[in-house]
Amino acid sequence: MASLNTFGAILSHAIELEARLCEWYESIGEVDKARAADKRRRKLERARRENVVEITLEPIRGLDAADYALELDDGAAASQTAVAKVAARFYADVAPKINVRAAQRTLERCGKEHIAQATG
Amino acid sequence: MSRTIQNYVNGGWVDARPSKSIPVHDPATCQLLAHCPDSTAADVDVAVRAARAAFDEWRSTPVLVRAQFMHHFKVMVEERFEDISQIVVREHGKTMDEARGEVRRGVESIDFAMSVPVLMRSDGLEDISSGIDETTVRQPAGVFAAITPFNFPFMVPLWFLPTAITCGNTFILKPSPQTPLSTELLFELLNELDLPEGVVNLVNGGVPSATALMEHPEVTGVSFVGSSPVAKIIYETCTRNGKRVQAQGGAKNYIAVMPDANIEASVSNILGAAYGCAGQRCLAAAVAVGVGDAYDQLKDELARQVSELKVGYGLDETAQMGTVISDGAKQRIESMIAQSQDEGADIVVDGRGLQVAGYEKGSWVGPTLIADVQPNTLMATEEVFGPVLSLMKADNFDEAVDIINQSHYGNSASIFTSNGRHAREFKYTVNAGNIGVNIGVAAPSASFPFGGQKDSFFGDLHGQGMDSIEFYTERKIVIERWI
Repeated sequence: MASLNTFGAILSHAIELEARLCEWYESIGEVDKARAADKRRRKLERARRENVVEITLEPIRGLDAADYALELDDGAAASQTAVAKVAARFYADVAPKINVRAAQRTLERCGKEHIAQATG
Repeated sequence: MSRTIQNYVNGGWVDARPSKSIPVHDPATCQLLAHCPDSTAADVDVAVRAARAAFDEWRSTPVLVRAQFMHHFKVMVEERFEDISQIVVREHGKTMDEARGEVRRGVESIDFAMSVPVLMRSDGLEDISSGIDETTVRQPAGVFAAITPFNFPFMVPLWFLPTAITCGNTFILKPSPQTPLSTELLFELLNELDLPEGVVNLVNGGVPSATALMEHPEVTGVSFVGSSPVAKIIYETCTRNGKRVQAQGGAKNYIAVMPDANIEASVSNILGAAYGCAGQRCLAAAVAVGVGDAYDQLKDELARQVSELKVGYGLDETAQMGTVISDGAKQRIESMIAQSQDEGADIVVDGRGLQVAGYEKGSWVGPTLIADVQPNTLMATEEVFGPVLSLMKADNFDEAVDIINQSHYGNSASIFTSNGRHAREFKYTVNAGNIGVNIGVAAPSASFPFGGQKDSFFGDLHGQGMDSIEFYTERKIVIERWI
């Protein structure tokens, strides 16, 4: 798994995560959750496009994609909670590492949505 | 057989008529991407005539309509944002983040051009004498050209083109023949805009087409970004031919690091400043001056963080630094590092001979850190335009400022400090066009002028900001009385 060591690596991982979740939620019939994931994906794409600030691009340390692997299995309630918890932990870990506030805020909001899903 | 890029003239794609073409390679993979035609004076003449023919109708197109084109243009660029960024990576070798940052700053220049209806307005005064009023109007000035560099192939053309045409001028772009592909896409988007024919034109090539633009009697003004020796030639040639000119040259950008700075956080930012775009930018940090006790801390922290930088192919999102532009650039940079070593400097981290697995033929130079650089040596005075950061020592703030001001360049300079008095003194006394305080890359945003001092700039009006409105317009004074 790749190291999440740049602004783009983190945002792209988040985008991919939401895309996978969208597909998974669709496959298990969770239409609303799929729609929410797709909306987050689009927000993250916008954040990646609009918040990359050349003068503050700095290396990012201490994050690895392997720590946020998703187990997308049968779609049982417990599985969904577990997945949402992993996603929430991912956003909680990466948001403070981003030095552009607008992008940080987008990541924080995504995290909050996953926390809400995890806690029902 | 690789394709040859076309020129865009008078609203359509046309073949140039050159006797030779220039190969365009991906500097990481060495893949041949295309051939760039080395357009001739005849090719330039066709483009200039088209631009001149379009001028009268375009200047009388309402400015709000001209600005509306920029709204649509921005949407198109946003829609193709990732495609453009990937092309920039492939033709230049920088990382995806750097390419996205470049495209974003290009978009900001389009945003700025949307403000032209406000910024072109002028002033007036009633009753300068009894019953006589005086007003100023700004009018577009004619056909403008830009000769742009390889290092920001998408962004730099957008410093000029959107503002120039929204002011009512017509335009010819000659991009670097090393990186013509993102500008080709730029013109594909402009083509979809349905601007009147001849308003924007693209002429690919090298010296012959640049010279023809500078000498063509129908070209009003020329913008240039590149090295200082060439900027000086551009300035002299254009002024000799009666043109307005803004020629941005090279740089040797210094960073002073004070003992009161947060060293770890400063170094993270300095890394981006020194090694971003593999050091191939006119705002790259070239020399860090450690003041007093800061020197040793800076050296140790830089050595640690530089060694951790991941060099790789730009399309791999985890790459933190990409290639330099060509094998020729690699050889030149490595030769300068060797010369520095011969002069007695200490190569703390040596990027020479770096290989990246899977891209063994790429033009790689790893991030290089050179300590104990002395004044008046190669690394203290000459632009490297590569991923090389030199370290110099100063006993105190005043000595650091003296070292910085001795440079014959004056593009940018930065200070890292937590002391407001030092920051203020630095801003006040350092002779550079762009000053950073706890910012390593002091890159002005699109609404501010961008330009250096001393040998980093030749001309009067800088690119971007209100300077660009001045550059692209002619002021006319009207004094009127009704009798």
